Amino acid sequence: MAVVTYVEQGGARHDVVVPDGDSVMQGAINNGVEGIAAECGGGLACATCHCYVDDAWIARVAAPSETEIEMLDAVAADRRAGSRLSCQIAIDDSLDGLVVHLPEKQY
Amino acid sequence: MAATSTAAPGARIPAHVPPELVYYAGITEGAEFLAAPHRFMAELHDKAPPIFFSPSEHSHAAWQLLKYDDAFFVLRHPEFFTAAGTGPFPRDPDDYWRIIPLEIEPPEHRKYRAIVDPLVSPKTIGTLEVSIRRLANELIDGFIDKGECEFAKDFGRPLPVGVFLDIMGLPRSMMDEFVRWAMGLLHAQDRAIAGEVMAEVTAYLQTVIKEKAAAPDGGAVSAIVHGRPGGEEMSSKEIFGFVFFLFIAGLDTVFATLNNIFVWLAENPDRRQEILSEPDNINNVVEELLRVFTVTFSGRTLTQDFELRGIQMKKGDRVTSILPSCNYDPDIFPDPQTVDFHRPRKPTLAFAGGVHSCMGAHLARLEIKVCIEEFLRRIPEFTLTPGTAISYWPGGVVGPKSVPLSWK
Repeated sequence: MAVVTYVEQGGARHDVVVPDGDSVMQGAINNGVEGIAAECGGGLACATCHCYVDDAWIARVAAPSETEIEMLDAVAADRRAGSRLSCQIAIDDSLDGLVVHLPEKQY
Repeated sequence: MAATSTAAPGARIPAHVPPELVYYAGITEGAEFLAAPHRFMAELHDKAPPIFFSPSEHSHAAWQLLKYDDAFFVLRHPEFFTAAGTGPFPRDPDDYWRIIPLEIEPPEHRKYRAIVDPLVSPKTIGTLEVSIRRLANELIDGFIDKGECEFAKDFGRPLPVGVFLDIMGLPRSMMDEFVRWAMGLLHAQDRAIAGEVMAEVTAYLQTVIKEKAAAPDGGAVSAIVHGRPGGEEMSSKEIFGFVFFLFIAGLDTVFATLNNIFVWLAENPDRRQEILSEPDNINNVVEELLRVFTVTFSGRTLTQDFELRGIQMKKGDRVTSILPSCNYDPDIFPDPQTVDFHRPRKPTLAFAGGVHSCMGAHLARLEIKVCIEEFLRRIPEFTLTPGTAISYWPGGVVGPKSVPLSWK
């Protein structure tokens, strides 16, 4: 279990308790945090659950797979150092306090 | 690029459609299409305008979209392009029911989709892998020693039906009935037969809905019957529309996809070898085969006048995304007709897009993966039975009628 903070473009913050094994994407979808579309529902197939992992957390989140890196080419907003597909970040205790920033658009 | 205006008989072209954009491609029914449907849809990019107006494709006069970007735009803007009323099944206007969740748009859509999302999430679907693999092997056991099978009938049909029954919480003993219904409803090409089958399916589903209301279980029918979108009970029509939709959406698509893929595998022994030699690349194999063998179309209706790619469309116009063509868009997938298992991964339109993106996508991917793996593992060398000419079903799910395979 971890508390994940989703930060909207305008600065509004949402602290959400996400169970172990759920993804950062599911944490948003299941708790009404807007800004993650997740069209494909977590299949690494749509690139619409893009988020920016906060600089302080980039090194602490498991590295993206090769497929995720390829799919990140398809995100609609700027791709930055912290860009990840949130369906691919699985929650465990070590991510308690994780901060992710939501992009301006998903498509 | 000259568009032909070979209009189908009786076609009415609305006054706002420029004559140069009227084009009859014969999608799902013309001889050229039926000879090699996916090559035909790939080559439409060289023949037809990127958006054209067809007098009768898929039985409705509609704008047809070939470009990947246009299709995603339409699918992602349900406020302009609604799926309401676009379901391809005849319904009595005096006793109308909506196909759910397809014909419900945001914000209500999410409440309905949430009822079944947990049953089709990647995590839940992953737990089915063992049972899908077992079913695949049972089916292979049934024909491996004969040295031949009719893949569509012996494998392509029963596998997705069996998996579907499990997910729905229906008994495997219904397999033969469901196979017959799927064929009658989707491929009979006869309205009377389709009507009779529709009545049988309706009666069965109504009975099951009653049973699950009384005795809930972990299946999808029960989840729907006991679902409370937005806290409200659904009407019996809504429950029926939801259960019926899973029935029509879940059965024919995987069937057609598997059949398309196995024709290709039979004709490409070197590519089978490539798949077998790179077992860790199987997910990319599945994704690429889904791209080149996309089987469906997405229909929408305009809620207001709208300009797309410089073309003025009117409220009430129908718009069809030719998803198989969109996945051959050369601007997105260079050298689109080449099947490349190492193509950089990009989103495809195999499962459409937007809020109505296919909810069974994870299941479909898993079924296709397991079928390729198990079939090739046990029968690595096979061909189309000599003398076979593959012919295709007309209609909105693109696939061959039969796939006779032989091996030694």
